[in-house]
Amino acid sequence: MLLPWLGAEPRELRATGRLLALFLGGRLAGYLGFAVVAWAAGVAIPVEPRTRTLVFGLANFGLAALLGISAFLPRRRCPPPQDEPAPRLYQISSRDRFRPPTALTLGFLTGLNLCPPFVTAGVRAAATRSLPGALLFFAVFFVGTAVWFLPSLAISPLRRFNVVPTVARMTMGALAIYYAYLGVVCAASWRLAPSRTADFFIFITGMVCHA
Amino acid sequence: MPDQPRSIALAAPRGIGRSLLLTVPMALFTLLLFTPVLRQPGRPAKLAALIAWGFMLALFFLMMRTRETYRWRRIFFIALGFLFPVGFIWDLVALRSSMSIPIERMLSGDTPFCFMVIPMTLIPAALTKTIIFPGSILPTASNPHSIAMMVALWLLATVILGKAWCSYGCFFGGLDEGFSSIAKKARLRKINPKWRLVPWAILVAIVLLSAATFEPIYCMWLCPFKAVTEFPEVRSVQTAVQFGIFIALFLGLVVVLPYLTKRRTQCAFFCPFGAFQSIFSRTSIFDIRIDKEKCGAGCVLCQNNCPTLAIDKESIQSGKTLSTCLRCGACVDVCRKNAAVWHIKGTPVGVSPERARLLYLYAAWVFASMFGGSIIANSLQKLIGLLV
Amino acid sequence: MKRLPAVLGYIAAVLTIAVAVVGPLFWFGVFGHAAAATSLRIAPMYSGGEPARTLARDGYQIVVYKPVPKPAPLSQAAAFVQIVWTPASKLPAAISEPLDLDGDGRPDCVVSFQIPRDPQAKLHVTVEPLTALVLPMHQVSRDSFSSLIARVNDTVVVRVPLR
Repeated sequence: MLLPWLGAEPRELRATGRLLALFLGGRLAGYLGFAVVAWAAGVAIPVEPRTRTLVFGLANFGLAALLGISAFLPRRRCPPPQDEPAPRLYQISSRDRFRPPTALTLGFLTGLNLCPPFVTAGVRAAATRSLPGALLFFAVFFVGTAVWFLPSLAISPLRRFNVVPTVARMTMGALAIYYAYLGVVCAASWRLAPSRTADFFIFITGMVCHA
Repeated sequence: MPDQPRSIALAAPRGIGRSLLLTVPMALFTLLLFTPVLRQPGRPAKLAALIAWGFMLALFFLMMRTRETYRWRRIFFIALGFLFPVGFIWDLVALRSSMSIPIERMLSGDTPFCFMVIPMTLIPAALTKTIIFPGSILPTASNPHSIAMMVALWLLATVILGKAWCSYGCFFGGLDEGFSSIAKKARLRKINPKWRLVPWAILVAIVLLSAATFEPIYCMWLCPFKAVTEFPEVRSVQTAVQFGIFIALFLGLVVVLPYLTKRRTQCAFFCPFGAFQSIFSRTSIFDIRIDKEKCGAGCVLCQNNCPTLAIDKESIQSGKTLSTCLRCGACVDVCRKNAAVWHIKGTPVGVSPERARLLYLYAAWVFASMFGGSIIANSLQKLIGLLV
Repeated sequence: MKRLPAVLGYIAAVLTIAVAVVGPLFWFGVFGHAAAATSLRIAPMYSGGEPARTLARDGYQIVVYKPVPKPAPLSQAAAFVQIVWTPASKLPAAISEPLDLDGDGRPDCVVSFQIPRDPQAKLHVTVEPLTALVLPMHQVSRDSFSSLIARVNDTVVVRVPLR
């Protein structure tokens, strides 16, 4: 989701780099925050599948909402024309002023990833029984995954094509739909399974398939 | 799609003799390619092959006689779109009594490979030399639709047709075109041109997600045509939700929206493979050009009749169609001033457009007969087998 | 010189027709050979990976595959090891077998399942971990690509998820 989000607004390379740094900072915060929790409580997030499904589903809905909002937010306003002096009390719209820290939030939510390797890392971090050890473990884990995000700086030169920001926003919308799908499946699984209701739902759908 | 009277310049049909003469090479070319199909054992197979061959030749003859392309191509394309699921589903039901793919088939590599998967496999294949699809690289007895075969077919189609694959090869597009042809008038006329960018967004999204998950995301979550081909067996909440999504997308994008808009909405506003194929739009030697001098003030009939909004005011000004042009011929057939013409790159625009059209049709129709014609023959064989 | 682009255009057009006519006759075979010569393989999540070792039993064999790691960071599938019993027709009615999955000489889990007489009947597998490597499975049928039991042709395929 990082590439379309970076491409959605026309930005210079430095601005793109700044946002990437914020994104990675949020991701690191997610990793280190999880390290602290894992250290503090042994295994803080239980590996019990049902609870993990619920947390993962909520994270997916959060990602979907954030991507959807970012896709439909208006573009940043153009600066005032050169021949007009910028007023001291330049009116910035309330939307611009209270724009959510999207880069940090996106990075944090992607860092909060309860996949088995992440949970395993949490278990190992908890087993160190020391906060510095847990933090160091996850910092190294972060470096290993973060290096894959650096090529996304290449999106900056493409902004000269007018369609790129539009396609990037639409891509965010498509990704929002995908994460919403995952959230729906997680929510349905958490609510229904394992239960007779889930079996009935699956049975009926299967019968429709075979009809 | 063209609801307007035929172009004045096209009103004079070609003589029957000349039309037959022009059809003879097509008959020979297609006989060469249809021979394996004609050699299949059993009366239904032979009869079906003969009917399909005759059908393709009849349409080509009419293209030569009337000097129109779109109307006759559309008949073939809709036939292909509706007959493909007949044969495909028939084979599935005969094999395993169901359209759903059980996981056993996936584990044994028996899932037929679809061309839609190609864009999603590129990055994972480049990184790990693996294909993220539960199929087989080479054809087997239980899976003739192997990855190598479909990729070879796609490469051949791209060399011959470029983006015109969406008008002469893609059986899914035939369904879209069929439903768009039902209503006499469009109920939804105003379509924001920005919707044309959605396929690109979907393409980028599925390529990125497939690279991040190593799963064919479009097949798992977004393909409307799972509803008329095959889909993973419903065995969990996730697969049940996915099945519901496929049905909803098919009804919405392939049935309802084309009916309401009289446009190929799935192809124009959703299909990521169409966007992918647009990248190769400029590789074909054939294209459609607009002679600005002949066009003059602009009646925008071409723009209004294009099934995929591949013509707009800017493109008319530049004398070209957009990269999303399917080379279906709707704009050429509806243009009253002969401004929209078939063209071979490197040649002057508007000089011998009929020659350009003939050469284009020889290439496109040979491919269509080889690929689409054999699919039509296969499906007809099943139907004839019921009667004979 | 001025006519050169047009001449080249017509030549390319005629060549396109030639490709359309002649290409299907030999192109598929050529491409198939080329594809076979590459090192492209089906993704291990679907193919199960490479066999690691074969264990001989009375009338049948057990093929233990190499562990397949989680394919990608966001993949839904977990790491797993595929184990294949072959031939299925020669298997006893019930299987309960301690297996070494990582080749260190110590059994990592006990895999238990029954073979119904009806070949169309669903199979269920229970896996009891003996080491921290393996995740437990209780009467699992076909949960996901990393956790399943299935009859594939004349074999029984079990996939055991790993931590």
